[in-house]
Amino acid sequence: MSDEESKSESAMDNTEDKPKSDAPTTANGEPLHGVLAEYHTPKELLAAAEKIRDAGYTVWDTYSPFPVHGIEKAQGIPWTILPWLVFGAGCTGLTVGLGMQLWTNGVDYKYLISGKPFFSIAANIPITFEITVLFSALTAFGGMLALNRLPKPSHALDHVERFNRVTDDRFFALIEATDPKFDDTATRTLIAETSPHHVEDVPADTRSENLPKFFTYVAAFLALTALIPLGYAYSVRGTTSTQPRIHIVPDMDFQQKFKPQRGNPFFEDGRAMRPQIEGTVASGDLQDDSHFYRGKVGKAWARTFPSRFTPNEAAMQRGRERYDIFCVPCHSVTGNGSGIVAQHALELAEGTWIPPTNLTLANIKQQPVGELYNTITHGIRNMPAYGSQIDPEDRWAIVLYVRALQRAQAGNVSHVPAAKRAGLK
Amino acid sequence: MANANNTTDDVIVLNEEGAKFGRAMLIAGLVLIAVGVGVGLSFDTRGLKGLLHSYLIAFMYVLSLGLGLLWIVIIQHLSKARWSVVVRRVAEVLAAGLPIVCALGLGIIIPMWLHNADLYIWVDHELVQNDHLLHHKAPYLNVSFFTVRCAVYFAFWGGLSTFFLKTSVRQDETGKAELSGLMHGVSAPAMILFAITLTFASIDFLMSLDPTWFSTMFGVYYFAGCIMSGHALWALSLMWLQSHGHITTSVTAEHYQDIGKMMFGFVVFWAYVGFSQFMLIWYADIPEETHWYHWRFEEPWKQVSIALLIGHFVLPFLGLMSRWVKRKKVSLAFWCIWLLIVQYIDMFWLVYPNGEAADRVPPSALVDLTLAAGMVALFLGSAIRRAAGINLIPTKDPALSDSLAFHNI
Repeated sequence: MSDEESKSESAMDNTEDKPKSDAPTTANGEPLHGVLAEYHTPKELLAAAEKIRDAGYTVWDTYSPFPVHGIEKAQGIPWTILPWLVFGAGCTGLTVGLGMQLWTNGVDYKYLISGKPFFSIAANIPITFEITVLFSALTAFGGMLALNRLPKPSHALDHVERFNRVTDDRFFALIEATDPKFDDTATRTLIAETSPHHVEDVPADTRSENLPKFFTYVAAFLALTALIPLGYAYSVRGTTSTQPRIHIVPDMDFQQKFKPQRGNPFFEDGRAMRPQIEGTVASGDLQDDSHFYRGKVGKAWARTFPSRFTPNEAAMQRGRERYDIFCVPCHSVTGNGSGIVAQHALELAEGTWIPPTNLTLANIKQQPVGELYNTITHGIRNMPAYGSQIDPEDRWAIVLYVRALQRAQAGNVSHVPAAKRAGLK
Repeated sequence: MANANNTTDDVIVLNEEGAKFGRAMLIAGLVLIAVGVGVGLSFDTRGLKGLLHSYLIAFMYVLSLGLGLLWIVIIQHLSKARWSVVVRRVAEVLAAGLPIVCALGLGIIIPMWLHNADLYIWVDHELVQNDHLLHHKAPYLNVSFFTVRCAVYFAFWGGLSTFFLKTSVRQDETGKAELSGLMHGVSAPAMILFAITLTFASIDFLMSLDPTWFSTMFGVYYFAGCIMSGHALWALSLMWLQSHGHITTSVTAEHYQDIGKMMFGFVVFWAYVGFSQFMLIWYADIPEETHWYHWRFEEPWKQVSIALLIGHFVLPFLGLMSRWVKRKKVSLAFWCIWLLIVQYIDMFWLVYPNGEAADRVPPSALVDLTLAAGMVALFLGSAIRRAAGINLIPTKDPALSDSLAFHNI
C-alpha cells in the first residue's frame, strides 16, 4: 500500500462506533465490518473507485500491491498537509538550532576561543543545518505514521483469506459498514455495478486494539533498566569515596611511565628524575651574563640596561607589544593597575585579592631596572613568574616600556616633539 | 495519465520558424561578440585588461551552461534514467553547442601566447622568476601546459557531446537497442573524466586568476553552478519549443517537475559547497587563504556577496520548494530565468575582485553584457542548428514509452 492509500484508509476508518443493534451483519450473523470487492487490474480498481466516490461514500478505501497512479483523484482524497508540517518543523529546527547556540555561546556562557567572536553565524551554520534536517526528517517520518494512524496492531482485513494476495497481484476496495451512506442492499448493488471478480463480507474485528501485554511488560522492563545508571549516578552524586572511580573508558590513565619526583628502581639512586651530569651545562642554560639574565651587577640590582640590549625605537615597540599581551590584563594599558582582571576581582570582593601594583607610583619609579626585570622573571606576591614565557630580550624591552609609561605620567606638551604636537589636537 | 501513442500527433521536428531563429541567433551572437570586443578595444577606458575580464566572465558563464547540459546527458545514461528519455534529446542538442563554446576559449589562450598578463599574472615571466611561490608553481602554471590542458578539455567535451548526439540520432534511424547500451557504457568513464576535466578547467580558468590562492572545493563549487544553470536552460528550451508548437503533448508537467527538482537540489548543493569552502577558510583563518574572501567582503563587493547568498540560495530555496511551482510553466520559467541570472552574477563575482583593489579593473555593464549575450546567442544558435532536421525526441529509445507515461506520485 502506498502512504496515500493507507492514510486515506485510516483517515476514514472509524472503528470506535460499534455497530448498533440493527447494524448490518454477515451471512453468519456476525457484526459486519464492511463489504470487500476484489479486482484484477489497477484499471478496474480505478474505475471502481471513481464509481464509489461518485456515489458519495466517505468511509471506504482501496488496497493494492503497489502505488496506483491517479488513485488519490479517483478516491477523492485531498492533498496531504505533511509538507507543511515538515516545512514548519524545518523552520522550528532552524530557530532552535541557531537560538540554542546564540544563547549558550553568546549570552549565557561567553567563552573566548582563539579570538573568535562569541557568536558568529558562520561557525553555527553546521549545527543549525543538522538540527533543521533532523527536525524535518523526524517530522516527515513521525508525521507520516501519525497521519496514517500507524502502526495498527490489528485490522478486520487480517482475517480475510483472499485479502492476502493484496501484497502480490490483487486489488481491493472496501466499503465499511460505519459509512453513513452504507445500506445493506444499495451498497451491494453499487459494488456489483463495479464488476468485481469476487465480493466478500468482512466480519468486524473483535480482538482488542491494545498492544499484547508482553510488549507492555518488555517496554516497562527496558524503561526501568535504563533508569538504573541514571539512578546510580544520582545517588553517588556529591558523595565521597575511598575507592578509585569507575573507569568506563580508561583512556591513558593507567599507562606505565615514570613521573618527576617519583621513584624508579632502574637507577642506583632510585630517582626517576635524572640530575644534570656534573661539569656540564644544558644547551641555553649557561647564562653567564648576570646583568642580562638576572638583572644584577655584582650583588646589587643593575641600574642600567645590559650591554646586550639596545634601548631603541624598535625595542620600545617590541616592549609595548609584549606589555600589551602579558601585562595589560592586570596592570592596564597605562600601568596604573586597573586592568580587567583587577576590576573583575574587585567586583567579586572576596577579600583575598592583592591588587596589582600601580607601576607609575614613585616607589616603583625609584626601583632599579634590574629589580623590575627580576620581578617579571620571578613574579612577586600573587603575580606569577613570566621568566619561562618571555625571553630575556623581551623582558628588558618590557622594562624599557614600563619606564616610558612612568615617564608619560609626568609628561606635558613640551615633551612632545614640535612636529607631532598638531596631531594631539 | 499519458499514454504511449501521443507522439503520433506531436510535432517532433524543428519547424521552419525554429530553424530561422537558430540562424538569426548565430548571426546575432557573432555580431554581439564583435561589437563587445570592438567597444572593449576602442571606447572602453579599461582597455584590454577590462575586455579580457569581461570576456572571461562571459566565456565561463556560457561554458557552465554547456557543461551543465553535457552532465545532464551523461547522468541520464549513467543512471539509465527512464523518466527523462522524452526530454533527453533537447539536452543532447544543447550540449552539442559545446564545440563552438570551446572555440571561444581561444580568446583566453591567444593573449597568453602574446605574453599578455592582464588576466593571469603567472603569464608574466619576469614576475614568476622573482616570486618564489609562483616560480614553484610554474611547472603547472605556464602557457604551454595551460594550452595543452585546454586542448584536452575542449577535445573531450566537444567529442563527448557530439558522440552522444550522433549515437542517439543514429538510434532514431536504426532502432537498435544496443546503441542505448553503448551510451550507458560510455557514460561511466565519461563521468569520471568529466569530473576531472571540469575541476581542472575551473582551477585553470578561474582559480589561477589569483595564483597564490587555493581551495580544494573550488571545482565542485563551479560544478554546482554549472548543473543548476544547465537544468534551468534545459527547462526553458523545452518551454520555448512547446510554445512554438513542438512536442506539446509528449512533454508534460511531470517532466518539468523532475527538472525542477534537480534544479532545486543543485541550488541547495551550491549553497552547501559554497559554505563548506567558506567555513573551512574562515575557521582556519590562514592569511594565504582568507584574502580571497576578504576581497569579496569589502565594499562594494560585499553587496554582491550578500546578493549572491540571497539570490542564489535563500530565495530560490524557498521559491522552488513547492511541487506546484515546479509543475506550472510560468513559475518554473521565472525561477529558471532567475537562476540563469544569478549564475552570471556568480561568475562575475568570481572573476572581478581578484588582486588588491588598485590592480583590479572595474566592471563595464556594456561590454560585460554584450559579450555574455553574444556568447549565449552563439551557443544557442549553434545548438538549434544542430537540432535542424533531427527528431526532438529519441523516437526509437527502448525506454521512450516509460518516459511518456511517466508520472510523479
